[in-house]
Amino acid sequence: MKPLEGKLALITGSGRGIGKAIALKLASQGCDIIVNYFRRREGAEQTCEELRQMGVNADLIKANVGDPAKIDEMFDTIAEKYGHLDIFISNAASGVGRPIMEIDSKAWDWTLDINAKAMLLCSQRAAGLMEGRKGKIVAISSLGSKFVWPTYAAVGVSKAALEAVTRYLAIEFAAKDISVNAVSASAVETEALKFYIKEGLVKEMSQTTPVGRMVTPEDVANAVAFLVSEEAYMIRGQTVIIDGGTSIALVAPLMEKSEGK
Amino acid sequence: MSVEEQVKDIVAKIAHIDKSIMSREATFKEMKADSLDIVQALVAIEEQFDIEIPDEEAQKFRNFGDFVSYVEQEVAKKG
Repeated sequence: MKPLEGKLALITGSGRGIGKAIALKLASQGCDIIVNYFRRREGAEQTCEELRQMGVNADLIKANVGDPAKIDEMFDTIAEKYGHLDIFISNAASGVGRPIMEIDSKAWDWTLDINAKAMLLCSQRAAGLMEGRKGKIVAISSLGSKFVWPTYAAVGVSKAALEAVTRYLAIEFAAKDISVNAVSASAVETEALKFYIKEGLVKEMSQTTPVGRMVTPEDVANAVAFLVSEEAYMIRGQTVIIDGGTSIALVAPLMEKSEGK
Repeated sequence: MSVEEQVKDIVAKIAHIDKSIMSREATFKEMKADSLDIVQALVAIEEQFDIEIPDEEAQKFRNFGDFVSYVEQEVAKKG
């Protein structure tokens, strides 16, 4: 029997990119998946089709997680149709890439609502469906929560909030036997990366990673799969960094150049 | 109310634009609508008319008229 057989996971923003990779990984362990998407139906349908071909059940729910009313509608649907949930992955993200002086109230709200508030509101609803099921919740963060990247201020702040929400949920949900953690990746090769980085720079960036390549969506999915497993039972409220060592090796490229001198 | 009028109302409200400058020829830049305004308008219009406007299509809009025409066409398809 596969480790996640009989379990049901909701993954927000799983029509493409990291969310899709997580869906495929959990499905490979037998997990049934609810694919949430917002604006790209085609990709989400494609993901569902791939999941079904893997032999698991896959369902599709459209919802803008930046809108509390839509979050409620999504969970009402899940409650009515399934009555339970075992795994919730808060992956959907958006953001406004601007210098800090250009971040207005609207840009702040849009980014924080989707990236941080949604984790809180979805987890509150998910907890109600996880009673007695040893639920697992994982949030997808990014290194921008702690480190500065040009035009990433709004998203970076939202990810810092997301990681803090993760810690508080982890403690309050411990009594419910629900584990809550986050994974934080450096730049991951997805479509979304193009919004922040010029294409030619990706190669240059991969050379500054100590392991010599970029983080892939599958790298993130592997860490998520561990955190939702029983082996990770005692890990609570943590943010696991997946960056090939980038964040702790500030001068790695320089070290390489000076080697042997 | 026509589709065009409804689209105007939604975009004006979201992007705080005076409807008098929203001609079919006006570009989003001329209307001072930024990228977030456009995304939020797309979301609101998709919801209002129960249609989908893929980003790939939205990127082709040269001006407000293209936007309105696309919405009109999608609404007509739904009958």
